Amino acid sequence: MKRGTDAHNEKEGRMSLGGGRHARVGLIGAALVVASALAVAASAFGGGVQSCGTVVINEQSWAGSTANTYVAKYVLEKRLGCKVKLTQVTEGPPYFQAMRDGKVDVALEDWDNTTTKQAQPYLKDKSVQIVGSNGITGVIGWYIPRYLLKQYPAFATWRGLKGKESVFKSPESGSQGMFLGGDPSYVQKDRALIKGLGLNLKHVVAGAEPAQVARWSQLYKQKKPVLFYWYDPQYLNAQYDLYRVKLPPRFKGCLDDEKQGGDPKKYACEYPSYGLDKLISKKFASSGSPALKFVRNWKWSSTDQNVVANLIAGKKMKPEKAAEQWVKANPGKVAAWLK
Amino acid sequence: MASVAETVARAPIVVRRPWWRGKLVYVALIVAGMYVAYRGWALEYPWPNNIVWNSLSLHLDDFQVWLLTERGKEDQSVVFTVFEGFSSAIEHLVEGFNRLLLWLTWAGTTIAGVAIVLRFGGVRPALVSLFAFVIFALTGLWEESMETLALMLVAVTLSLLVGIPLGLMAGRSGRFRRTITPILDAMQIVPPFAYLMPVVILFSIGAAAAVVSTMIYAIPPAIRITELGIRRVPVNTVEAAASMGATRLQLLRKVQLPLARRMILLGVNQTILFALSMVVIAGLIGGGGLGAVVTSGIYSNPALAILAGLVIVVMAITLDRSTEAIANQTDPARRHLDEARKRGLHLRSLGIAGVAVAGIGLAKVLGAAATYPDEFGTPPRTATLEEWLLAKIQVALDYVQDPTTWVFSITERVGTFILTELLLPLQQFLVEAPWFTTVAGLTAIAFVVSGLRPALTTLAMLALIGFTGVWALAMDTLSQVLVATAIAVVIGVALGVLAAESERFSKALRPVNDVLQTLPQLVYIIPFIYLMPVSIVPGIVAGVLYAFPITVRLVERGVRDVAPASIEAANAFGASRLQVLRKVKLPLAGDAVMLGVNQAIIMVLAVVVIGGLVGSGGLGYEVAQGLVRGQFGQGVIASMAILALGIALDRVTQGTRRGRKEGMA
Repeated sequence: MKRGTDAHNEKEGRMSLGGGRHARVGLIGAALVVASALAVAASAFGGGVQSCGTVVINEQSWAGSTANTYVAKYVLEKRLGCKVKLTQVTEGPPYFQAMRDGKVDVALEDWDNTTTKQAQPYLKDKSVQIVGSNGITGVIGWYIPRYLLKQYPAFATWRGLKGKESVFKSPESGSQGMFLGGDPSYVQKDRALIKGLGLNLKHVVAGAEPAQVARWSQLYKQKKPVLFYWYDPQYLNAQYDLYRVKLPPRFKGCLDDEKQGGDPKKYACEYPSYGLDKLISKKFASSGSPALKFVRNWKWSSTDQNVVANLIAGKKMKPEKAAEQWVKANPGKVAAWLK
Repeated sequence: MASVAETVARAPIVVRRPWWRGKLVYVALIVAGMYVAYRGWALEYPWPNNIVWNSLSLHLDDFQVWLLTERGKEDQSVVFTVFEGFSSAIEHLVEGFNRLLLWLTWAGTTIAGVAIVLRFGGVRPALVSLFAFVIFALTGLWEESMETLALMLVAVTLSLLVGIPLGLMAGRSGRFRRTITPILDAMQIVPPFAYLMPVVILFSIGAAAAVVSTMIYAIPPAIRITELGIRRVPVNTVEAAASMGATRLQLLRKVQLPLARRMILLGVNQTILFALSMVVIAGLIGGGGLGAVVTSGIYSNPALAILAGLVIVVMAITLDRSTEAIANQTDPARRHLDEARKRGLHLRSLGIAGVAVAGIGLAKVLGAAATYPDEFGTPPRTATLEEWLLAKIQVALDYVQDPTTWVFSITERVGTFILTELLLPLQQFLVEAPWFTTVAGLTAIAFVVSGLRPALTTLAMLALIGFTGVWALAMDTLSQVLVATAIAVVIGVALGVLAAESERFSKALRPVNDVLQTLPQLVYIIPFIYLMPVSIVPGIVAGVLYAFPITVRLVERGVRDVAPASIEAANAFGASRLQVLRKVKLPLAGDAVMLGVNQAIIMVLAVVVIGGLVGSGGLGYEVAQGLVRGQFGQGVIASMAILALGIALDRVTQGTRRGRKEGMA
């Protein structure tokens, strides 16, 4: 498994080190001396030689992002001769800072982190720049397993849930129904939404996404009822047959981030659909690298992403192989990126 | 028989009544009072909104934005330039190390590593480290392992460079020690998630931020254990040297340092273990290596995350065993060097160094790759066991995720029982009870168990929690911490006593403890949710598994350290083994047991954020969300509340005797 950098050139191979020397100075002493000597040497050697140079892409935690990243990496390396380095910096302020510091060049899928207050300083000084949509529309909502609709056809909309909340009851929700909340890092407003709609549901936090998946998939496998925060595109949507419950339509002034507080009624509308953005750093924007044009052109569909993500996370294929397979099967789309 | 008579004469068998016995009654009464208040006024008195500092989180958010803006200015102040210089120096250091490891090639690195351990530690630890390198290679995670190794070596070295001198100062000055103790407590309890963002702003993403965050967690043990070592040097030795006219510096160099040497090396060892428990956090902020494999694998390839987690454990145990062996082997007090032995050692060094250089040279000449290859030969054959290992782990994962197995039918019921019978009632009690009876009750318990000053501290901490507006969340977390601690203490005391009684059991338990203390919780706790699909319980399990090893260690040592004379005396009176244990050993080890409880609480608090990530809610969830959704203020407030809770619980359980913590090492 070679995640991350392949960029260890043999340049410093010529340096000679007296291997016998360290035994005498002591482990730590030797290590320090050697390391600092090398550090000086390393900085003298730094810098790429290719016309494209090195592009640093940030891979975010969800499988869809892994799919984006490896497909882009494959094309950049094989077609444009770039070197691609991957980082796994947490999204939100941490990766904005990484872009400002020139440590990350590109993020291929941002779910509206740019709208938060903390993001504004980065956008204002242009250290983080939005370069259009990645072609995917993100959808967030309340999901149930489709098999539930057979027994309760009314669950197709939120009104059908009213009075039937106890179908979803669980050990932690008492007599109420359980609503399984989303990953703490994702945009959500379900507590306010439940209150605003006057539903007798208890919002239960399931934690990070893998933990939440563990909860609902276990119920799904037993064909039990479950109502939860979920989204699309997501590779698991290919494995589980899920249905998005219709929430009230959007109205003017409807709010989406419950951290803003206020009257729950203001939140009583469905989530907006998110145009997912590509972000680049100021440094990359002014680099003139051919990779820049590629990133501007790069876009694909939810279906494309789900195919690759499912190969990686569902079928356990190595991300490099999954990317290669997709690229070879879709020469037309790839050509459009390289125009 | 004469000797027995003498023993009896010397050791009075009057067993002192343990100090906490009589207090249990009072504690029970106070709790009963709190319960009555809860029954009478449940939900009627939540923490009043008019004594909450509501705008605090906004101020903290503003602070972060200010820091960000200052940092981004073209003409930034000298302070930031210093940070920048520091961070690029560290980055070069880590990168240089990493390049060295790659330059040596995988074969050369293995030879060099094993040779160093062989020269200073001996044959057994050398074999252990050889095994570790084989694991790095066969799991296909060589490159990531080297990245993590480089990062950890730099972080540990810097932690020691800061920690040991501060430890020496603390050991020689009581005032300095008292000043830094609360800071050290904070460094260990405040969840790293709270300070990751400021660290990232100041040091940027990457190796430097990873090293700094690791240092924050790994420096305290270095300081504490060094300080303990210095203070354990017998007073009369120091006085004797002083009376012969030794200066302070001479005292330190010729008396205190040599005598504290073993403790200081133990500190090195603990620093390494603490540092390695930060590998995953480092992965979140660009530290790369095994940590990044864990954090991204958890979402898309859990088997790989587990494999990387196991490699972290192997690395931790190897470094632990090697440094321990090196500490023992090179102890001047243990080996009396005459000229002949000195020459022998010299020759051995030269021999090993020669073989190592030759080996590395050979590896370079034969063209060994920088990292261990995935494939070799033509036609290429896989050189690692990665696929096979991942398949095996996947089989286990699939079994765990299947809700039709008999295991699931048991674990699901156990999980639901713990949730509905233990956790939810306690949570309801603490969250819904009137705030003032809870504050008064907990303060009173602290007073009864520990005395006036601890009670005042407890009161202040509880007031702080309420004032910052997280009272209900903190009570939710408190209920979880209490349940997890109770379970951890029951397990810890039982296993600790068994380990003290049986040498074989103790040996068998040690690797288990090591694994539980170094395996990243995220790696095993997600599969666990499939087995116990209810909220809060998986978080409790993480807390229990992380906390009970320390209780085992402290109880085992406490029971073992009971003066042999008392035991012999009891034996002479014909007491059975069980009687000796119950009537003599356990009561005499009472202090160690209480310390075990106290430490278990601290360890449980350290994983509150992990609980938040797997559905425990409470303060942990707030902290986790604070980092990723840019709610800096929210994260900091929740973290401070965790710290306040930690301090309050520490005071409640510390007991009346001063200096209890000093037994901890």
